[in-house]
Amino acid sequence: MSQRLWTALSEVQDPEMPINLVDLGVIYGIDEHDGVVEVDLTFTAMGCPASDFILEDVRERLLREEGVREVRVKVVWDPPWTSARMTQAGRDALEAWGLAV
Amino acid sequence: MATAAEFDQMIKSGELIESRREMTPEYLRELKHTLIVSGDTELISAPAYYLAAKRAPSINAFMTGIAIIQDELAHAHIAYHILEELGEDQEKLIFSRDPKSFRYPYAFDVPLDSWTELVVANGMYDQAGFCLLGDIHEKCSYGPWKRGLNKVMAEENFHLRNGRTWMKRISAAGGSAKDELQRAVDWMFPLSVEWFGLPDDLKMHSTQLEYRLKGLTNDQLRQWWLSTVVPYCEQIGIMVPAHKETRDGKDVWKLDYPFPCEFDSEEKRWDFKQPISWDDVLVRWRNRGPRNAEMVAMFQEEFHKFRKTHHNGES
Repeated sequence: MSQRLWTALSEVQDPEMPINLVDLGVIYGIDEHDGVVEVDLTFTAMGCPASDFILEDVRERLLREEGVREVRVKVVWDPPWTSARMTQAGRDALEAWGLAV
Repeated sequence: MATAAEFDQMIKSGELIESRREMTPEYLRELKHTLIVSGDTELISAPAYYLAAKRAPSINAFMTGIAIIQDELAHAHIAYHILEELGEDQEKLIFSRDPKSFRYPYAFDVPLDSWTELVVANGMYDQAGFCLLGDIHEKCSYGPWKRGLNKVMAEENFHLRNGRTWMKRISAAGGSAKDELQRAVDWMFPLSVEWFGLPDDLKMHSTQLEYRLKGLTNDQLRQWWLSTVVPYCEQIGIMVPAHKETRDGKDVWKLDYPFPCEFDSEEKRWDFKQPISWDDVLVRWRNRGPRNAEMVAMFQEEFHKFRKTHHNGES
């Protein structure tokens, strides 16, 4: 189940850049018990203008997974996000888009 | 510099123009004009959106509104920066022009008075910007602008998302919230349709198309806009005065009101029983709308005040 949920979130795109949330490195953890999914998530900046959309997209995508009846998202700031948290695939995607990372 | 014939051949063969040295004076003039319209539109959207973003219903929504305004200023900066490279004085263009000589769509001269009207602007005006800039991004013969638009397109997408998400939410809330949304759409939809300018049968000649500064005609752009906005509004239960017809196997979007027609900018109300001519529309555009002077003053006044104080301090 856990792997399936990570895969589901890797289909959620950042609303501003062509990179998914898993490759961006903002998903810190996913836990599931009896259909209740808890996600630890951070933003690249505290002033992230897309935070509302990201939370909505994460909830909406996970609820589409079979066996998921509730999604609780916890926004965390520790450890703070840095670009070192991005995967190589994420880096490649942003570089192809013209952003040096 | 290439001869006019050689230059026309370069344009026709799809080559990109990279510097002022390659251009004919006519191309330079037309390119500058197109850039001024683009820069002015992005620039004026900042005060127009700001005056409504202040009414955001949450801190987060306010942050999103402010981020969109920041994007718009950056997009304006790209256009003015290119104009400077083409020999224009950016400072003069922004801070010393008469408000009436700014070349942005009339829609921005009509005040956005609520968060609801702001998100409809994000859903409709930004969609118009997306169509116009998307076309330039794809077809423009001037390399530096074409490349500069890469990121602009991604950011405009974010603005559309804000518009569409909120329009859907407000419509789903129903009641007086939905009524307010419908009222906003009622006056903003026809203004956005007008945004694309004269219909093709009245615009006999387009130098912009000839020079490949854009690729689609006014009516083609208008159809593109209608094909995205009308189905979305219908999907979220908001009425718009347009419908789809199929002609020769192709979808064509038709307006359900006389185009153009009379608009009362103070009341924000269209009179669909009162068709007017395009000459009347051009007069309204030239006179500008209720908020033109106030919005231009928002950045011009402080610039000159600061300049004066700064100068006095030095002397």
